[in-house]
Amino acid sequence: MAALGAVYGLAGFLSLRLALVDQNVTPLWPPTGIAVVAFLLFGTRLWPGIAVAAFIVNLPITSSPLAAAATAAGNTIAPIVAVQVLRLIGFRTELDRVRDVVSLLVVAPLTMSVSATIGATTLLVTDQISGADYWQTWAVWWAGDSMGVLVVAPLLLVIWNQAHGLYRSPKRFELLELFGVLCVLVVLSLLAVTATVSILFLVLPVVGWAAWRFQLWAAAPAALLVSSAATWAAVQDRGPFEDSTLLDKMITLQGFNATVAFTAFFLAALVAERARSREALERGAADLEVRVERRTQQLSDANRRLAGQITERREAESRLRRSERQLAEAHAIARIGSWEWDVASGEVGWSEEMFRIHGVEPDAFEVTFERAMTFVHKDDRARIRQDVQALLAGRRGDIPDREYRIVLPDGEVRTLHSRSKLSHGPEGTPVRVVGIVQDVTEQRAFEREHRIADTLQQALLPASFPEVEGVEVAARYVPAETGLAAGGDWFDVIPLAGGRVALVIGDVAGHGLEAASLMGQLRLAVRAYALEGHPPGVIADRTDALLHDVAEDEMATLMLVMLDVASRVATMAGAGHPRPIAISSAGARLLPVASAPPLGLGGRGSYPESTAVLEPETTLLLYTDGLIDRPDLPIDEGIDRLLRAAEANARAEMTRICDGVLSAMVRGDASDDIALLALRLLPVEAGELRLRVPAEPEALQQVRRRLRRWLETADAPDDVRDDVVVAASEAVSNSIRHAYGPSSAWVEIEAELADGQVEVVVRDRGRWRPPRGVGGRGIDLMQACMASVEIEQSPEGTVVRMRRPLRSAVAP
Amino acid sequence: MSQLANLAFEEQGRVIVARLAGEVDLSNAADLQQSMLDAVPNTAEGMVVDLSVVNYLDSSGIRMLGEIGERLRWREQRFAVVAPLGSRVRDVLTIAGAEGVVPFEDTLDAALERIRGADG
Repeated sequence: MAALGAVYGLAGFLSLRLALVDQNVTPLWPPTGIAVVAFLLFGTRLWPGIAVAAFIVNLPITSSPLAAAATAAGNTIAPIVAVQVLRLIGFRTELDRVRDVVSLLVVAPLTMSVSATIGATTLLVTDQISGADYWQTWAVWWAGDSMGVLVVAPLLLVIWNQAHGLYRSPKRFELLELFGVLCVLVVLSLLAVTATVSILFLVLPVVGWAAWRFQLWAAAPAALLVSSAATWAAVQDRGPFEDSTLLDKMITLQGFNATVAFTAFFLAALVAERARSREALERGAADLEVRVERRTQQLSDANRRLAGQITERREAESRLRRSERQLAEAHAIARIGSWEWDVASGEVGWSEEMFRIHGVEPDAFEVTFERAMTFVHKDDRARIRQDVQALLAGRRGDIPDREYRIVLPDGEVRTLHSRSKLSHGPEGTPVRVVGIVQDVTEQRAFEREHRIADTLQQALLPASFPEVEGVEVAARYVPAETGLAAGGDWFDVIPLAGGRVALVIGDVAGHGLEAASLMGQLRLAVRAYALEGHPPGVIADRTDALLHDVAEDEMATLMLVMLDVASRVATMAGAGHPRPIAISSAGARLLPVASAPPLGLGGRGSYPESTAVLEPETTLLLYTDGLIDRPDLPIDEGIDRLLRAAEANARAEMTRICDGVLSAMVRGDASDDIALLALRLLPVEAGELRLRVPAEPEALQQVRRRLRRWLETADAPDDVRDDVVVAASEAVSNSIRHAYGPSSAWVEIEAELADGQVEVVVRDRGRWRPPRGVGGRGIDLMQACMASVEIEQSPEGTVVRMRRPLRSAVAP
Repeated sequence: MSQLANLAFEEQGRVIVARLAGEVDLSNAADLQQSMLDAVPNTAEGMVVDLSVVNYLDSSGIRMLGEIGERLRWREQRFAVVAPLGSRVRDVLTIAGAEGVVPFEDTLDAALERIRGADG
């Protein structure tokens, strides 16, 4: 406050040097400007500082201290009123708006009337001026204060604002330019105030330039400079003010000063305001650019999403078209046609395949129900019409599958399988029928042939096996479940003379009727050759030749095992057929059968025989390749698996052994026919032997074998065994030779062990004729071989009863 | 024809050797007898029936051998049988007391010698 007072006072004393009226009224009173700025920036509470300073300044130039106090009060009150009014109308000290400049230019002169009135009145009252000079004095006072505010306040505010960084810092070349401008102003002002002609107005463009270029911080000093110069000229009566009345001077000076202040500050504020607007506009423009950019980004994102959706949709359409095409292709392959019938409109739609099934080009004609019926075989039309009537009358909820025949344009008859589905309207009336038909002609024909072939094959295979002494036989035939069934697999069991049995298994290549019928022929041929007494190699040879003869290009595999039950010697021949398996207590093994080509591919002598001696109680397994030859399994692995399955079932009952092996080997449906034949050598009974043989010489061999085996089981010594066999054979020979005529008859043989004795009884129903010639040697042999021989003859027949010890020799 | 026995012939000089294998009984004796007699031409000195590998011979077989010997004798041809000592056939021939009817030797050489020796 003291500093403010000091500044105010110093300014006051300097200003008084410019006094126009009686040394105390000056045309430019800067202290008022200082007071206004101080009050604006720091508040009116600083008034005591101003009041005291004003009192001190006025004290020397007034007549009394009271007058000085009155003047000081005026000098204080006027700035306070000005500041209050400015605050009221929203004045901003930044001075960067036109309205702030205008406010200052209007408010300052109005409020300074307060100090002018108080000051002039005081001078009048104290008689320092006369009444005639009152208004002149008031006007100078008022102008001085007003100009003090107008010229000094802006400069001070600019300095303050600049110090507080409210304006931009001038660049170096701008400072130079400012300096240049101020120099021009100084020169011009000097010229103007010294020239006798009035050229004060020349400074105005320069002031305007300064304000335009540098706004307030150039305008303010320029205004102060010019105003000060003009005021000095007025005080000194120089230049334009020479020889003028006080009033003229005052009017010219105040008008000039007001014009300068107004021009400078108004122009500066205007330019500042414009610059600010431009900045705001630029900021807005930049802002807009960012927004546009962001919006563009959003739009392009949306566009990309849209493009993605369009692509997805196109892919979906393409997938749909592809699956439609696949469906059509599938229908074409499966020969499935689809149709649709709109019941109300009577319109019928057919798929392309539907037309093809009916032997016409797609869309060859307009389809109607009646048009479609013209294709149907005349015997099936009534049935279809009945179905349709029942359907439309609502008597039937769903439509059963139907099969019917159609006649193609070329006269061919095809069988169609039809499935359809009815949809109802809201009232339950039939609205639409959709359906598919499948051409099943070939399928039905195939099924028919399959059935016949199946029946034929079952008829051709043996229904049961003959009893064969010492063995047990079982067999299984499994037709293929899929594909062409009813193949040419067969098996056979043929009892032969001499205690032998032939096992046969074979497989005619191919399936169906032809294979089945060829199988029947081959089976009979093999049986015939076997019964004629041919060994396996010869049978295979002859059957091969027969096949060449009856069916060229046909082929069959065959496995023949001829087994001597007593000696357990197996004689075998194979023709391209999997080898048999022998299962004994030692495990399962493949029997060594020499490989040979299938029947139909062989030539004379192609079929060698192999032999093997089987363990007692061996089980033989013969099979067709369907059991081991599977698409998912290498053939060797199939055989390994079969050997394991055979071992696992080695002890099973005969009926179970086939099933056990089958279930181990076949999972799910068999893909090929399977024939399986099993034979087991029964354990030899050591008790009693009973035989009944035809009274024919050929039976002798069998009698000897059976008896020999029985004696072996009874653990008879070799020579005893041979003697008993000779004696029994001779007895049977006698029965054959002497007991009967040429018609067929039987001989019974019984053998048993009792008390270390072997007893053999041979019985016939005839009466022996007396022996003739050397033939009588038979009885000699019997007696030589046995300890006792009794021959009982009766009307019922002849009984020979022979005995001898089991372990010791017969006494000669 | 059954496979009960097999028959093969060979010539040893002017002697026919019939090699018989298998079993001989009522069922095949007559056939075998006919085959063997047919195999002996008039020019032959005689016939040897080799029974070395026959494992069964019954009374029909003995009768067959006796009849062959009798027929050849009528034709003034000689006859001998090979039945090695210890063989089953030799036992049967011995037991049946066929020595007088069927001349048997242990070996083929002995049988051949018997025929040729008788000639010389």
